[in-house]
Amino acid sequence: MGSPLSNTPAWASGVCAGLDAAGARHVVFVPDNPTSHVLRHLADRYPQIRLTTATREEEAFGIAAGLYLGGARPAVMLQSSGLGNSLNALTSLLIPYEIPAVILVSMRGEQDEWNPAQMPMGRAVRTILDSIGIAHTTLESAGAAAHTLERVSRDAFDRHRPAACLLPKRVTAVMSA
Amino acid sequence: MNRLDATRHALAAIGDDPIVTSLGHPTYDLFAAGDRPLNFYTWGSMGMASSIGLGLAIARPERRVFVLDGDASLLMNLGSLATIGWVRPDNLVLIVWDNERHGTTGGQDTATAHTADLAAAARALGVERTASVRTEGELGKAIETAKRDPGPWVIVAKVTEPGSTTKPPLDNVAIKRRFMAAIGNPETAAVTA
Repeated sequence: MGSPLSNTPAWASGVCAGLDAAGARHVVFVPDNPTSHVLRHLADRYPQIRLTTATREEEAFGIAAGLYLGGARPAVMLQSSGLGNSLNALTSLLIPYEIPAVILVSMRGEQDEWNPAQMPMGRAVRTILDSIGIAHTTLESAGAAAHTLERVSRDAFDRHRPAACLLPKRVTAVMSA
Repeated sequence: MNRLDATRHALAAIGDDPIVTSLGHPTYDLFAAGDRPLNFYTWGSMGMASSIGLGLAIARPERRVFVLDGDASLLMNLGSLATIGWVRPDNLVLIVWDNERHGTTGGQDTATAHTADLAAAARALGVERTASVRTEGELGKAIETAKRDPGPWVIVAKVTEPGSTTKPPLDNVAIKRRFMAAIGNPETAAVTA
């Protein structure tokens, strides 16, 4: 789905296509470097998807919950470091009220991480999601992005629950279109 | 004015519009003042009420969306005011019950008892339309203005603690489903496979 006219990486254009196909119409986010490609591509190609910048990841989940109550399908995009900031809203609002949101987690702290401050949370993301009962899928390749995001999004919206797709550096660091 | 009387007064002034409440006393007092399907009670996620209201206001621009927040809760999520100021939803009205304390947990002081001014904070973060009120008359007038003039609005109401009140049911999913049906967005059945 990448365009020859842009330098959007294939994984990022696939993420956008999958979200759109599943009917996501809002992305609330705290940005990071890899997901900047998703944000740019959404802004360029998906006028039907509204972008909202949050000051903090937990706030993004609160906004997403309100969007859902009003009839919209939200996604929240954050870096793995921000999962810690999000836990109270996830565990005391979205999960118990059965409010769906697609959660896109740009992963830090895995292989080749240079910043020690990213490592504890990066390594704990899957364990934390398991322990609070949020299903998660790891994006395995750029080519799988559209299908994976559509599947994770439909899981969230069909089953009324937050569902996460983890975006590992081994996929998002690839810069080819 | 005590918060329960203020909530009754606010509910009468708000009329048929949706209301999101912050956990603890704002939730209990709205339930006591008048349970109705368009009340969305939070039972947790301290600080998130204003953010839920923002999302709802974005999704439903044809409705006025009211939030009943608390001073300690809003202090926990001050960034929300910056986002509301930036997004500028003209249909969002954030009412802050400012009792200058953590009223649900034993009355420990918040910063508004000393140095913090939440209406000034809202203005500094981009929410231009604010009101600070101390009486039911002032509160009613502020809500009438906020229903008429484009927002977003932040109304900070200094309140005292009322006596004990009742609490809404704990069924979170029932609260959500009732609210969504009432706002004209009935939830489809979840796929359980």
